Parts: sequence; structure tokens; C-alpha cells
Amino acid sequence: MTREHQPIRILAPEGFGQRLTRRGFLQVGGTAVGLGAVLAACGGGSDSGPESEATTADSAAEGAGGDATGILADYSTVINQSSGNLAMYTWGEYNDPELIGAQAEGALGVSMQVSSYGSNEELIAKLEASKGTSGYDIIVPTGPYIPQMIEKGLLEKFDKAKLPNMANVDSAYLGQDWDTTNDYSVCKNWGSTGYMWDSSVITEDLATWGDFIAAAMGAGSGNVSVLDTAVNLCGMYFFANGIDWNTEKAEDLDACEKFLVEEFAQHIKGFESYPSSKMAEGAYALCMVWNGDGRQAYSRVEEAGGDPSVWKWALGAPDTEIWMDNYCIAAGSPNVDGAHAWINWILSPEISIQDLQYHGYNSGMKNMPELISALAPDLTRGEMIFFEDAQVQTMHTQKITSAQDRLVDIYNKVKAAAGA
Amino acid sequence: MAATSVPASSSQASSPRRWRGPKFGLALPSIFWYGAFFIAPIAFIVFYSFGIKDTTSTSGVPIDMGSPTLQNYRDTFSETFRSVFTTTLRIAVLATLLCVVIGFPVAYFLAYKVKEKWRTILLALIIVPSFTSFLIRTIAWRIPLSTNGTLSKWFQDWGLIDRGFQILETSTAVQLAIVYNYLGFMILPLFVALDRIDPGLREASKDLGAGRLRTFAQVTMPLAGPGIAAGILLTFIPMCGDFITATILGGAKGNMIGALVESQFRLAQTWPLGSAMAVVMIAAVLLALAIAAVLVFLVRLILRTRRGVTVQGVQ
Repeated sequence: MTREHQPIRILAPEGFGQRLTRRGFLQVGGTAVGLGAVLAACGGGSDSGPESEATTADSAAEGAGGDATGILADYSTVINQSSGNLAMYTWGEYNDPELIGAQAEGALGVSMQVSSYGSNEELIAKLEASKGTSGYDIIVPTGPYIPQMIEKGLLEKFDKAKLPNMANVDSAYLGQDWDTTNDYSVCKNWGSTGYMWDSSVITEDLATWGDFIAAAMGAGSGNVSVLDTAVNLCGMYFFANGIDWNTEKAEDLDACEKFLVEEFAQHIKGFESYPSSKMAEGAYALCMVWNGDGRQAYSRVEEAGGDPSVWKWALGAPDTEIWMDNYCIAAGSPNVDGAHAWINWILSPEISIQDLQYHGYNSGMKNMPELISALAPDLTRGEMIFFEDAQVQTMHTQKITSAQDRLVDIYNKVKAAAGA
Repeated sequence: MAATSVPASSSQASSPRRWRGPKFGLALPSIFWYGAFFIAPIAFIVFYSFGIKDTTSTSGVPIDMGSPTLQNYRDTFSETFRSVFTTTLRIAVLATLLCVVIGFPVAYFLAYKVKEKWRTILLALIIVPSFTSFLIRTIAWRIPLSTNGTLSKWFQDWGLIDRGFQILETSTAVQLAIVYNYLGFMILPLFVALDRIDPGLREASKDLGAGRLRTFAQVTMPLAGPGIAAGILLTFIPMCGDFITATILGGAKGNMIGALVESQFRLAQTWPLGSAMAVVMIAAVLLALAIAAVLVFLVRLILRTRRGVTVQGVQ
């Protein structure tokens, strides 16, 4: 199939690498060299020319000195007041509770209600069944699902005049394949998939998806959790075996099913999309995680009186996933004005970084390294939020293919087989 | 009202305010309610179970009904899914038996042994926990059972166990919590049944020379029969469909059919397969109850013929 010859498609800006690395390293300066090295690869600023580079360097220096106002001059910080109720339908534990609660009420005058879904399919089904009367204002679909949502008329077109802060988003994260003009969606954050293990139980060093599978069937057997989605479960197998995770070939899918159902399922203890709090309870020794939830696990383990240092993290390798979730407005939204006001607010740098510190995913603001050193200099475990260029090169976006139903079928069988 | 002093039969014939419509008229509200919100949805589920998943459908339901198929039933009966049915029935049957074994002494105690003034308080204590959401009560089980929890640490300190509890995310956790979650629904009908037994019958049994055990086995138990049956129905049926306990405490190993059906409808959006599973589960529950009823009937028949004294004879 021609698909194999297509170049790898990733969500990275062009020249994501050395140029930014060098610049980030120099700008952040001596006060935060360690962090700078970590953040350097997180990119941003590919739209800024040489002139703005100089300005940013100055402001970053100020930022490192504790004055954040300098760097903020480069950003749009418009706040539009609104009113009324605002209903958001999103993934679990995905915003700082303050930002969807008291702080939003104080800053914007909107009172928010948040409910959550477990899969994009669930989100789409719910919106479709209600035909514009779902009552939701803001929804957060993953990129590849957006075209079908636009086609089915589930999304409200943005009034960009009400979203001036969209200018703060790194151009690398705008104009994605699924919505090239950002008429319907704007990046909330992006992330990737890897795994964490308790090194007091699994003593080997793990690095790849193959290692994950081996440990799950070995030292970690019976104490393993995997993400509760069909694509991630099957993706683990495909990545480990060097198969394109968007494969539609019957033989790949058959082999995946055979392995997962007959050999792998029996070792699984739980299907968890957000295993972090259960890791703190001591439920698992090996967990497939999205990077942000994995990062939250460290603080949860610590809060529960455990030893976070036994937990190790590895980004999936040799290849892994990249996904981007996006703020959209649901068609028929009862409070379109409030939805614009909130999305615009969350795209202002201070709010965006506040949220990032909570959820642990890259929120895609431009000049991220400078922003972090100015606004969140004591951010921990940045390596789980911001990935190096070489890592980003190994990440692949999910495509919605004809194999979708088959993947769900495999996932169902694995779930049943795991309980047998 | 005056009518109340007249014998019922003549009151019905002479009262000017008597119900003139068909006799089922009084049941109309519930007929409507069950028809619209129980029969119709179940009929849809049965209908959907012959469909094919179609997420591009614009009907609001992700199903294509164009070419009805039995494939969903074939999948449901495949070996993979059959194991989940077996686990579910095993958990539900065992939990129901445990509820009877644990609930009967409690109900007996409440009905016969407790002083009147304490009875209301004790009954309230059984009912009050259900004022809290089912979900919260289930999540609360994660605290004492967790591997790194306080209880687990105490047990390790006392040398009772070598390493932390390994109970959560197993079917044992589901088994424990499901008994707790439904125990009240067993105790209350049992208590009502025992409480309604005329004390004179048990006294008569003693006067006629029966010992405590014989009175219990041949008078109290048979008369409590309807209460036991009600308790079993009230616990066993919802247990079979329970997905909260399994989802929260069961992990991959304590998976129950309710959780699997829920994930078909919600996460996976495979409504046809979920519908087929639900239909099969309903059939399985009815079958299990039918088998239980036949067994009870046979046991009674055997007992009657062997003793030559019918249980009803006591009454």
C-alpha cells in the first residue's frame, strides 16, 4: 500500500531541534540550566523572527530574575467578561479545578459545570444523539476525530474576534491537518504515551514497548494496567513489533489479536486511562500511562506516603503515539459567548501555564521555555512534559481507518480474556 | 366514610363512587410507566442486538439495521465472552447465598430477640447507610482494602501478612463489596416475613412437642419462604447487572457482564454487541431463577412425600 511510503507525519514544528535547543539553553541562563536543558527541546517560537528573538532573550533574563511582566509583553492577555452557566464536557482530571471553578467565576463571571467522557467515540455519540441539544458548550476532542465532527455538524464555528489570545499558541500547533484554518478548534495540549514501573518489583531497566511487554509477562505479571482504549492497547503491540500503528492489514490485526488475547491478556490487572491514583494505593507495579497522568502519579504517591523514587518512567520506544486535544465549541451551545470568553482566557500565558502545572501536558504556548522559566521556575519533572526533538521524531498521530472497528473488537476480547 | 362500615362486597355494589372502568384501570399509571420506560427500551435493545455497528449513521444511534444478523449472538456465546458470564453468575449466586446466610440471623434477631424500643433503631441502622450514594459506598471500600492502606500496614506490623493486601482489582474484592452493597435488600424482606409470622404458630409447635430446631425448620423457615424468595429476587437480579462494584473494585480480573455491557455502549460504541450481551444476560438471569424455582419445588415435593405431612398442614 502506498501508505507505507508516505513520510512520517508528526505534530512537530519544522526545525524543532538544534536551533531551539541552542537558543533555549542560552536564554534561560545560569539560574536554570538544568531546567533549560530539559525544556530546550519543547520548542515554540518557530514563528518569531530574529528581532523578537532578541526581545525574548531580554525578557527571559528578567523572568529568571523573578519579574514575569517582561515576557508577558510578547503575549496577548485579553480577558473578555461573560456571564451565565458554562458546561464543559471533557476528559477526566484535565484542568486545574480552580480554572473550571472559582477562578473562572471570578475572572470571567461564568459558573462552570464539568462532566467527563472516556473516549472520543463516546463524546461524538452523545453529541449526535442529542442533535444540538446536549447543553454542552465546550468540548475537547482529539485531533483526528475533528473532521468527522465538522462534517456531522457537531461543532460551532469560532468567532475569532473573540479569541485574540489564539495568537499565543505556537504556530507549530495551529493549522493541523484536521482543521487547517482553526475555524473550529484550537490546541488545548498535546501529549504522548509511555509507561511507568515500580523498580522495587521490576528491577530491570526498561526502555521500549518490547521491554514493557516482557516485564508485563514477567516480573510485573498480574500487576499491570493498560490504557482503557482500543488504539493504545493495540498500539503497544504494533509499536513493539515495528508495525505502523495505523495498519489496516488483516494479517497485522490478526497477529495482534492472537497475541493480546491468548498470551498477554492474562497478565493484565486493570484497564485504566488514569492509573495515577491507584498507583499511589499500591495497586500496580507496571502501568501504561499518558505522560501527564504519569507525572501526576509522582505527587499522588508522595501524598499517600509512598516513595516516589521507586517509580521509573519511559516514553514508549522505538515509536509511540502523539495526540493533541483541542478546545471546540459544541453546536447548539447555550452559551457561545461564555465559551469563547473561557477558551480565550485559558489561552492567555499565565492561565495556560497554571493549567499545565496541574495536568502536566504541553499546552502549546509560544516560547515555552522562556514562559516556564518566568512563570513556573520550580516546575518539576519537565522531562515528562516537554520532549526532546529526537523523541518527537518517533511519535505518530492516530489515523481514523477502516481498522477502527476491528481494534475495538480486539479490545473487547482482551477485556473478556483478562478476567477469565 | 360510611361505606367502610358496610361489608366490602355490598359496598362495591351499592356505593355511588365505585370504580366503573375496567379493573386494570388502577394499574394504568404503572402500565404506562413500565411500558414507556421499561418495555419499550428493552424492545429496542432486543431490536438493536440484530444490528451492525455503524458510527457514520446519522440516525443518532450508531447502528445499521439494514441487514439483520445473528453475529452479535455468535460473538456473545464465543468462549471469550462466555467466561465473563460464568464469572458474573458465580459472583452473583455466591453473593446471594452469603446474603441469605448473613442476613437471616440478623432478621431473626430483629424479629424475635430484640426489645421493641431497640428494633426501630436497629432497623434504621440497616437502612441509613443506603442514604449515601451506592457509588460512594463502593469507592470507600478502596480505602481499607488498598495495598498501601492503613489497615494493610497494621496487618503487616502485627505479622499477620507478609506483604500488603492483594485484594483490590480481583473478583474477591467484588465478592466482598457486592455482599455488603446488597445485604440490606435481603435483611428487610426477611425481617418483614419473620415479623408477620403469628407467634401463636411457633408456640403451638412447641406445645405439640417440637424442639427449637424442629420448630425453626418446619414452621419458621417455611413461613419465611416468601420473604427469602423476595430477598433473593431483590439481590440476585440487580447483582447480575451491577457494573459499579465491578468497575470500581474489580479491575480486569473481577470483570462482570454489566461492566462489559457498559463499556460496549459507552467507550466502544458497539451498541449491537452490548445489546446482545444484555439480552443474553436477561435470559441467563431468568433461566437461573427458573432453575432455582424448580429445585425448590422438587425439594418440597420430596420432603412432603417422605414425611407425609405437608408444610401447609401447619397453617
